[in-house]
Amino acid sequence: MGTLNITVIIKLEPDFSEGNVSYNPDGTLNRAETKNTLGPHSGIAAHAAFFGRVMYDAKVFIVTMGPPIADLALQQAQQISDAEELHLYSDRLFAGADTLGTAEVLRVGIEKMPHKMDIVFSGHRASDGETGQTGPQTAWKLGFTFLGNVISYSVDLETRTIRAKRLISLQGSPNVVEEVEAPLPVFISIDPTYKSNYDAVSQRLAFEKYQKEAIQRAQNFKDYLKVFNAKELGVDETLVGLPGSPTIVYKVERVPKSTATRRAEVIDGTDPEQIRKVVTKMKEALSAMVIK
Amino acid sequence: MEKYDVAVIGGGSAGLAALKQLSNLGKQAILIEAGSKIGSKNLSGGILYSKKPKKGQVTNVEQVYENFLDDAPLERKITKYILHSTSKDKVYSMDLTAAHDYQANFGYSVLMNKLNSWFAKQAQESAEKLGGGIIPGVHVKSLSWNEQTGTIIIQTDELDEFEVKAVIAADGVNSEIAEMVGARKKFTTEQLYQGVKVIVKLPEEIIDERFAISSDEGAAHLFAGDITLNHIGGGFLYTNRDTLSVGAVYHLDSLIRNPAEPYTLIDTLLKNPMVSEFIKDKVPIKPDIDKNLSQEEKLRIRFGVAKLIKTWYDIREANFSPSGRERLIESGKYKDVEDIQSTLLSIQEKMSEKFGVTFGTDYLEDEYGAKLVPDGKRCRMKKPFFKNILFIGDAAGRGVFVGPRIEGINVGIDDGVHAANAVARALDKNDFSNSLGEFYSKSIEHSPYTVDMKQIDKDYLKIFLDAAKDVPTDIIGVRYGTILKMMSSDTFRGIAIKFANIIGYDKLIPIIESEETYVKVPTILAEKLGKSISASYLPTIPPIADRIANLNYNDDNLAHIKVLNSSSEYMKKMVILCPSKCYSEEGGKVIIQHEGCIDCGTCSQETEWHHPRGEKGIHYQYG
Repeated sequence: MGTLNITVIIKLEPDFSEGNVSYNPDGTLNRAETKNTLGPHSGIAAHAAFFGRVMYDAKVFIVTMGPPIADLALQQAQQISDAEELHLYSDRLFAGADTLGTAEVLRVGIEKMPHKMDIVFSGHRASDGETGQTGPQTAWKLGFTFLGNVISYSVDLETRTIRAKRLISLQGSPNVVEEVEAPLPVFISIDPTYKSNYDAVSQRLAFEKYQKEAIQRAQNFKDYLKVFNAKELGVDETLVGLPGSPTIVYKVERVPKSTATRRAEVIDGTDPEQIRKVVTKMKEALSAMVIK
Repeated sequence: MEKYDVAVIGGGSAGLAALKQLSNLGKQAILIEAGSKIGSKNLSGGILYSKKPKKGQVTNVEQVYENFLDDAPLERKITKYILHSTSKDKVYSMDLTAAHDYQANFGYSVLMNKLNSWFAKQAQESAEKLGGGIIPGVHVKSLSWNEQTGTIIIQTDELDEFEVKAVIAADGVNSEIAEMVGARKKFTTEQLYQGVKVIVKLPEEIIDERFAISSDEGAAHLFAGDITLNHIGGGFLYTNRDTLSVGAVYHLDSLIRNPAEPYTLIDTLLKNPMVSEFIKDKVPIKPDIDKNLSQEEKLRIRFGVAKLIKTWYDIREANFSPSGRERLIESGKYKDVEDIQSTLLSIQEKMSEKFGVTFGTDYLEDEYGAKLVPDGKRCRMKKPFFKNILFIGDAAGRGVFVGPRIEGINVGIDDGVHAANAVARALDKNDFSNSLGEFYSKSIEHSPYTVDMKQIDKDYLKIFLDAAKDVPTDIIGVRYGTILKMMSSDTFRGIAIKFANIIGYDKLIPIIESEETYVKVPTILAEKLGKSISASYLPTIPPIADRIANLNYNDDNLAHIKVLNSSSEYMKKMVILCPSKCYSEEGGKVIIQHEGCIDCGTCSQETEWHHPRGEKGIHYQYG
C-alpha cells in the first residue's frame, strides 16, 4: 500500500459573520476594519483533506497565497485537517492577482513541494470573489484531472484510483449524483454539501486521535509554517500578480436595496375589535392559499 | 465486523472510571457516549466524596486519576455542612459538618460538564495507547449475542455494528441497556428521586464573603421544612468557585401522589428568604426604550446596552476573583487592579448616563436542569449483571442516600473500578461466562457502599442525633415521629442506635423518609426555634419557558419518546411533573412535544423511552 499526499488550497476571506463586517460609506467593503477568517468553503475543503488523513493516514499540506496575516487562515485550516506543513506564498509582486495569476503561484508552489501530490482540494468558491475559478484553473495548470462538486470520495491505494460522487444540479431538473472513478492525481473542488462519514469504530478512534493531534499542532502552527516569496518560489514574474492577470474590472455597480414588500401593523391584543380584524385577515390569507 | 475487547457504554463519571481503570490494567477498551461531547449530558447535585470506611475498602477518585487533586477542575472543598429547617421567614439551623466529614477524606463541589471532560481527557490518553478510546456522538440501539462465541454484537444509530467480549453498561438511571436485555425492569417511582437544579452566577469573592469561607473552602446548605411543599425530600445549595448550585430533590412517588411542578419546587426554595439572601447580587436593569424612536435607533440602543452589560459582567466577574484579576493584567489590557476597577466604574457610569441603565438587587440564573436519582437502598440491582454485561453506577441503581448523606458519583466510580477489575480478570482467563458477572456481583456486594445501602451506619446515625441534641424536648409533641423522640431525648438518643438495629433498616426507612421527618418536624422546629430572616428583595424568577429557551439543544426531528397511553392517570400527571413542560393535555389526551426535553426520564414509566440519537438533545454547559 502506498501513501497518500494531499494539498488543500485555501483563502483568507473577510468574516461575513455578524458583527465582523465593516463597510465604507460608498457601500464597498472596508477591508482594514473587517475581520478576516478562513473562508467557509476552504474550511470544507480542509475537512475533506482530514477525511483522507483519518481514512488513509494521508499527509496533508495546506497552501495559500496572500498577505502575511493569511497565516491565520492556515492555522484554522490546520486545526481542521491536521496538516503537517503550511505554505504561505507572500510577496508584493503577487498583489492585484486575478484567479489566473493566483493559479500560477499555486501551481508553482504545489509542484515545488517535497512530495508528489495525489489529491489537491479547493473550496467551491470564495465568499468575497465568488467566481469559483481559481480551483479549475490551478487544476488545468497542473495538468490534473479535475473533479468538481464532489460530495464524497474514497481512494484505492493499491490501484491508485479515486472514486468520487459529484452533485450535479441543473436548473429546472432534479439533482443528479454522478459517481466517477479516476486515476490519481486529481484536483477536487469540494461541493458545499460535502460531509465526511466515519462509520466504523476504528475510523472514529482515528478521527479522535488525529483531531487531538490537529488541535495540538494548530496551537504551535508557526512550527509548521513556511513562507515563500516570489524569488524563493521561482515564479515567472510576468505570469503572476497584476502582469499575470488578464481580468479587467470594467465597472462596479451597487446592488440596489430591495424595497420591502411586506408591511407590519401593530395590533392591540386587548382590543377584541382589533383581534376580530386579525382573524378576518387570517381567513382571507388562508382562503387565498387553497390550491384550486 | 470490527472486534474489540470491551465496550463501556456511557461516558459519565462511572463509565469513565471503568475505562480509566481498564487502561490502567493494560486492557483495551472503547467507550461509547451519546452526547456530542463528554459531559454534555451529565448533571449532578453535586458533591464528589473520597471516603475512608472503617470496614472494607473503596476505590476513590484520586486513586483512579493520580493527578486528580492537583489538576482536576474542582470547585470548592466543602468545609461547612449545615441543615436548615424552614417555616416561612423562620429558619432553624443545625451544623452537620461532622456528618459530612464522617469517614471522608474530602468532599468537593463539582460541575459535571467540566469534571467529566477532565476525566475523559485522562481516560482517553491511557486508552489510546492500547488501541482503545472514547467515541462521542454515538447512541447504542441494540445488543445481541453471537451464539457460537458468546460475544456481544453492538448496533448503534450511527456506526457499523461491532463485536466485543464484554460490556460495562454505564448508561445512567434510565439505562436502555438494562431494559433492552431484560436485566432489570424500569425503576419505579418509589425507587427514584427527581432532582431539579439551577446554576446561579455569583462572583468568587462575594461567595467567600457571604458564606464566610476562604478561597479554598466551600459551604453546603441543606433545606427541609415548608420549602418542600409537603413532599419527601429537600433543597440544597452548594458553593462552586463562582457559581452556586441550588437544587430541589424529591421522592418521585411523593410527587406523583401530590403533583407539584418541579420548577415550582425550586422556585419555592429560591424564594425562601435565607436562600434569596444567599443568591442575591447587584444586577443591571435595562431601561425602557422610547417606543417613538426610529427602528434603527431602538436597535442601536438595544445592542449598545446588551454589549455594555456583557462587558460589565465579564470585567466584574474577573474583578471579584484573584485569578480573574491576574488574567486581565496578564492580558496587557490593564495595568493593575486599580485600572480594572476604574474601568469597571467608567463602564458603569456610561451605562447609566448614556443609556439610563440602573442597578438593583436580584439574582442571575445561568442554567436549569433536571435528573432522576436512583435511591440505592430501594433499587440497587441485587445482581448487577446480565450474561457478560456488567451494570455500574446509576444504571445499576446505586447511590447512598440517607437523610443528609448524599453520595452518588463516588459510588459510581468505585463500581466502575470493580467492573473493570472483573473484566480484566475475565480477559486474562479468557472466560466470559456467567462467572464474570458473579465475580463482579460478589466483589461489589462487599463494597462498603453496598453495605450502606443495606443497613444504617450506627456511628453515622449517632453523629446525626448528636447534632440534634440541643433541641428541647418540650417543643415538639410526642405525636411527631419516632425519629424526633430519638433526637430530642437524651435517654432515647442513648438507645436510638440499638433501637434502629432492632427494628431493622427496612422498617426504619419509612420512618426516616416520612413527611414528618422532612416536612412537619422541620417546620415546627423552625417555627418554635428558628430565627426570622427578612429578604431585602424579591428574586425575579425566570418562567419555565425562559429557562428552557436558555438551554442548548441539538433538536432531533425524530421523537425519542412515544406516549403509550395518552389518557392514563400517570401521563396526566406528567403534564405537571415534566421538568421541561413537554407534556400538555388536550381534550383528555396527553400529547408530547419532545423538542425541549432534557432527557430526565420522569415520564419513562409509561412511555417508550430512549435517549436521543447521537449528538442530539440537551447539551448542558455546567451540569
